[in-house]
Amino acid sequence: MPKRLVYLDNAATTPVRPEVLEAMLPYLGPDAFGNPSSPHRFGRAARAGVEEAKRTIAAALGADPGQVIFTSGGTEADNLAVIGCALAARERGGPFRVAVSAIEHKAVLAAAHAVARLGGEEIILPVNGQGEVAEDGLSEALARGVAVVSVMWVNNEIGVVQPVARLAVRCREAGVPFHVDGVQAFGKVPVSLHDVACTLFTVSGHKIGAPKGIGALVVRDRHAVEAIIHGGGQQFGIRPGTENVPGIVGLGAAVELAAREQAAFAARVAALRDELERRLLAVVPDAVINAAHGRRAPHVTSVSIPGTDSEALLMHLDLAGIACSSGSACSTGAVEPSHVLTAMGVPRELGVAALRFSFGKENTLEDVETLIGALPKIVEKVRALSAVLHR
Amino acid sequence: MSGGVDSSVAAALLVEAGYDVVGATMKLFCYGDAVPDRPCCSLDSITDARLVAHKLGVPHYVLNFEDRFGRDVIANFVAEYARGRTPIPCVRCNSFTKFRDFLYHADALDCAYVATGHYAIARDGALFRGRDPRKDQSYFLWGIDRGVVARMLTPVGSLTKRETRDVARRLGLVTAEKVESVEICFVPDDDYVGVLERHLPADAPALSPGPLVTAAGAVVGEHAGFARYTIGQRRGLPGGFREPMYVVAIRPETREVVIGSGDELFGHNVTLAEVNWLAEPLAPGNAVLVQCRYRAPAVPGRVRAVEGGTLALDLAQPVRAITPGQSGALYDGESRLLGGGVIA
Repeated sequence: MPKRLVYLDNAATTPVRPEVLEAMLPYLGPDAFGNPSSPHRFGRAARAGVEEAKRTIAAALGADPGQVIFTSGGTEADNLAVIGCALAARERGGPFRVAVSAIEHKAVLAAAHAVARLGGEEIILPVNGQGEVAEDGLSEALARGVAVVSVMWVNNEIGVVQPVARLAVRCREAGVPFHVDGVQAFGKVPVSLHDVACTLFTVSGHKIGAPKGIGALVVRDRHAVEAIIHGGGQQFGIRPGTENVPGIVGLGAAVELAAREQAAFAARVAALRDELERRLLAVVPDAVINAAHGRRAPHVTSVSIPGTDSEALLMHLDLAGIACSSGSACSTGAVEPSHVLTAMGVPRELGVAALRFSFGKENTLEDVETLIGALPKIVEKVRALSAVLHR
Repeated sequence: MSGGVDSSVAAALLVEAGYDVVGATMKLFCYGDAVPDRPCCSLDSITDARLVAHKLGVPHYVLNFEDRFGRDVIANFVAEYARGRTPIPCVRCNSFTKFRDFLYHADALDCAYVATGHYAIARDGALFRGRDPRKDQSYFLWGIDRGVVARMLTPVGSLTKRETRDVARRLGLVTAEKVESVEICFVPDDDYVGVLERHLPADAPALSPGPLVTAAGAVVGEHAGFARYTIGQRRGLPGGFREPMYVVAIRPETREVVIGSGDELFGHNVTLAEVNWLAEPLAPGNAVLVQCRYRAPAVPGRVRAVEGGTLALDLAQPVRAITPGQSGALYDGESRLLGGGVIA
């Protein structure tokens, strides 16, 4: 009998939603395949799709259509925000220095590191044991002067929600651009930039049912960023290159759906997550829910299982038909200890033994039951293995 | 699955034979530090292994053994050169990593067998040379646990390299035409001295100048570190002698590299340490075939003494460049690998 497959890795990526695919198809075919910069009818058809997507996305996020800059995804948007702000600051004689939280996605951390390698400086803002950015660290950074502060709305590994509205006010008062990586927040928690006075905001397509390879950076102050790639002047020169029209249209459709469904989605997956945590602790009583007492988004939970390692757990779960994640996977597929858990002060033996379960719209209680049914035996086997391999 | 053609074909043949196969690649050291691409052990190779597994319809995992490989294999490699010896890390890897640590994972997955792309043949709990005499890799396997042999599958051991490639082509595996890897996986560009320089202190005796001497004790020059030499080496030695000179001994305690004529390279006996048996242990007086270098012929010998983990052998004919740190693999007349040890 084929085993039941369970996908609990929606924070990694999601399938393209049928509605999104439907919306994209005309822009791949003969009617609207054109270059949106072309003055002829083919170009106009493509342009119309791009502009409509911009309006949709702006409305959903609480921004203006002219502020939506499309990118190849979350990583590029984050790079544009961090490196672009640093370059712009240096250009006008400001600080060539960026401040990012210790638990940012690698897209932000590596971009900050790139600034340092270009001769600038990176400040890593520490977090407390629940993964929240320590505000005295922010105060110090703002006092020194930085080109940009970047803090993610929802952490991708542990789901912790940062007080971005308050941090945005702090940055605004200091006259410093504030970037929010909203990749794991949008569609999961209520997101309105009317309430968050950030300068820049990243959203990614493939986390919400659009294809991979499309994302956007909301740029509310065009002087705050300088382009990091150069070309034909599209998108105000901030991110030139012929627009990925089908991707943009798909992103628009996905954003609209995610915004509309957010509240219902959050309620549903929060119940599933709570059930997973409750039942998991019942069968593995010494498991540790990371950031359990922090403010968390509804779709992610990070669980450390003492005496195991995530690499072996992931393999055994996959063979049982269950897909989840260790949080951060190396490009080879080998597992490294999570930098997020390390920054939170989680001991190494728990950091290397973490599993991230992340819910999407297709998950059901049956998925949780399948996982909980398989887990005790797997934990037992992996514990025996780890006891030998890590002694 | 290293991402090379041999392990790819091994996996493919098992799938064809109806086994329930799980593919795995061992990550043995960090790939981040500009290790140039090579047929095995690089990131591209992991991708190739994954592609092959996907094509075969089997799962594939990357298992991290960096810590243990670093300790059991790389650290030993460095320590052996620092002692003036010439180690074979592939033997250590087989004994400690591939056929020990890796098996813990196999056990946890309830895998009855562990398969390998080695050119050797496991049959009824005994290990034999591979069928292709130019590819036979049994020499590197003397140190594995005897109990492992009973659950080893060696699908390419009974093939020639050409036949292995033919299978890969027939199945359309991406690794079919891949160049053979002959280097040590963690030694980029065959520059083992570079690895030693990274792991040893700058003033390590093994990398510091010392005298080049003859067996008679005459100092004939200086060398730049005895770890740069191995027994039988000719390259890098001064000229001006009546006949070609070779390294015949390394004396780490005095940093001396001893050179001599080709005749001085031949030995009539060999002592093995860390002896491991894959058959019933031999006793003094027993006849055996011993192979003291990869691709060297095995020569007849007789056990002189067995004591603890060491085995002393008298050789029926002189053997060239018996090198401490290399392996002595023991065979019977039927090409069965009986065991072996590290040349003392």
